[in-house]
Amino acid sequence: MTLVAIIGLTAEALVTNALKRQAQARVGSEVAELFVQYQERGPDHLRRLVAARHAMHENRLHYAILGKDRRVMTGDPALAQVPHDGTFAADDAVHEFGRKPYDTMLAAARPLSDGSLLVAAIDLDSVEDVEDVVSGAFYVVLGMSLVLGLGTGLLLSRTLLNRLDAVTRTAEAINAGDLTRRIARTGTGDDFDRLSATLNAMLDRICALMESVRQVSNDVAHDLRTPLARLRQTLEDAARNSRTMTDYDLAVAKAMAEADGLLATFSALLRISQIEAGARRSAFQVVDLADIMQTVCDAYAPTIEDGGSPFDVHLPQGVMVEGDRELLTQLFANLLENAIGHTPAGTAIRVELERGGDGRSGRAAVSDAGPGIPAAEREKVLRRFHRLEQSRSQPGNGLGLSMCAAIADLHQAGVALSDNGPGLKVAMVFPLVG
Amino acid sequence: MKLLLIEDDSEMAWFIGRGLREQGHVVDHSASGRDGLFHAAGGAYDVLVVDRMLPGLDGLGLVKTLRAADVQTPILFLTTMSGVGDRVEGLEAGGDDYLVKPFAFAELLARVNALGRRRPMLQSDTLLRSANLEMDLIARKVRRGTQEIDLQPREFRLLEYLLRNAGRVVTRTMLLEQVWEFHFDPRTNIVETHISRLRSKVDRGFEPELIETVRGTGYLLRATSS
Repeated sequence: MTLVAIIGLTAEALVTNALKRQAQARVGSEVAELFVQYQERGPDHLRRLVAARHAMHENRLHYAILGKDRRVMTGDPALAQVPHDGTFAADDAVHEFGRKPYDTMLAAARPLSDGSLLVAAIDLDSVEDVEDVVSGAFYVVLGMSLVLGLGTGLLLSRTLLNRLDAVTRTAEAINAGDLTRRIARTGTGDDFDRLSATLNAMLDRICALMESVRQVSNDVAHDLRTPLARLRQTLEDAARNSRTMTDYDLAVAKAMAEADGLLATFSALLRISQIEAGARRSAFQVVDLADIMQTVCDAYAPTIEDGGSPFDVHLPQGVMVEGDRELLTQLFANLLENAIGHTPAGTAIRVELERGGDGRSGRAAVSDAGPGIPAAEREKVLRRFHRLEQSRSQPGNGLGLSMCAAIADLHQAGVALSDNGPGLKVAMVFPLVG
Repeated sequence: MKLLLIEDDSEMAWFIGRGLREQGHVVDHSASGRDGLFHAAGGAYDVLVVDRMLPGLDGLGLVKTLRAADVQTPILFLTTMSGVGDRVEGLEAGGDDYLVKPFAFAELLARVNALGRRRPMLQSDTLLRSANLEMDLIARKVRRGTQEIDLQPREFRLLEYLLRNAGRVVTRTMLLEQVWEFHFDPRTNIVETHISRLRSKVDRGFEPELIETVRGTGYLLRATSS
């Protein structure tokens, strides 16, 4: 609004100024022209000319010759109001003066040799008319913009408030416990719509995390109940039925084994959450992945070979990655134990590591020719406590592969489970150093 | 041996103290970090068993202070902190070994024994021997009597560790840590398989049988000087 006012005032001032300068030039040149006539043809000719021009009365121009006493000798009597001070005598400048019955006038004068004064003047009526038009237009525009501005302002703030309100209402509903609520989107793709989309995505992520926490705590409760129930049963049985020291010893040994299993599960859970928290990354060093894998293979080779399984190991020399030696050792140990534990005796097991074509990645894989995992189950086995139906009866706590996934994630190596035709292939792509 | 146990949990201290005394050790007990530091700096102990979480001065600070004061007594950390980085932190502070609670008592005993009889001169030994089994650490050769025995690198390391601890029980976990750098408990009994392979190379057909299995605990390589 202020801007409109500034623009309006400036425009008016500019227009008025231009018109005034034009009028000044006009009276200036009139006086100069008449003065030339006076010099060339004398005072009588000038008097006639002034009288004639006054009689024509054109273009709001006024002419007069004032005597020494400033009375009008010839021409427009109104010009007697030209100020009587020395202003007009000294120079041929153009001056503004107020005069009745007209409005403001611009006048130029020239003193003549007999002491009289030649005056030409122009009404500023026209200039003032233009001024009036301009300022009139300006007030109309000002009014219109005032109405329009207030209107759109109101409309805009109403819309903004409405949309903010939608966000607030959603947030309140979520706070109240309804996690499924999302901010409604207008689909216009504007800033608000994008903000809504981002907030919704964040809410989805939080929901997924909450869901996984809920699932894990359910699983923990469920999977730890079973061994605890067995432990209790063992102790109760020992208390009621043991007759000899040998009976008691056996029961104690069984209870201890059960307790050890529980402790191992707890350690694994703690370790997984610690790994997932990512704090260990700060202790990363450059390590030789091939060397780590070789050590693990060396450790398991006798067990695998004694089980009658062919064991294939293909490792290049020196494949450097940034990582944690202890965790990487555990990663490959878990994968090998998985292969050993979930395949029948005599099933071929293969460990390989190869550099990617660009030399920036190393692909490590552990594969077996066992029964494998159905495609639908492959994602799920990486979750805590998830076990395939057929392996429920085998020893294990269902945490091995989820620990592998956590360790691989920490090392920015994605885990991919695939069909080894037959069997399972677990592959990871590690970013290499240097 | 004369041992100092610095542990604030009285039940745990009682359990450990009784077990160690049964094995013929003399055990002093401090229940706080400051008290422990005072005793450890003053008394001539063979091994310190230090809990990491102590009132007053924590185990880590205590060990750092002792090491800074040039007390070289072997230290075994006991802790419930099983985090991946915690063990490294404990060893870097100056601990010699690290055992996570809860543990089997036999495990603690084996580790205390291994620390207590560590001979300071051992690092310069180039020849390890028990009965007629000889290991040359420079040439990396092993012979039993007159016969040279061909061992794979890991088997060599396994036998070396057993020989260095000859006469003492070493647990499965100690072997996993020292020979394969496994700081977790694998489900597969890989140690047993490796020991049986080593036995077939080192012991089969020779007298006396040197590598013994200690039921429920681990293994022992008999120390015989002749």
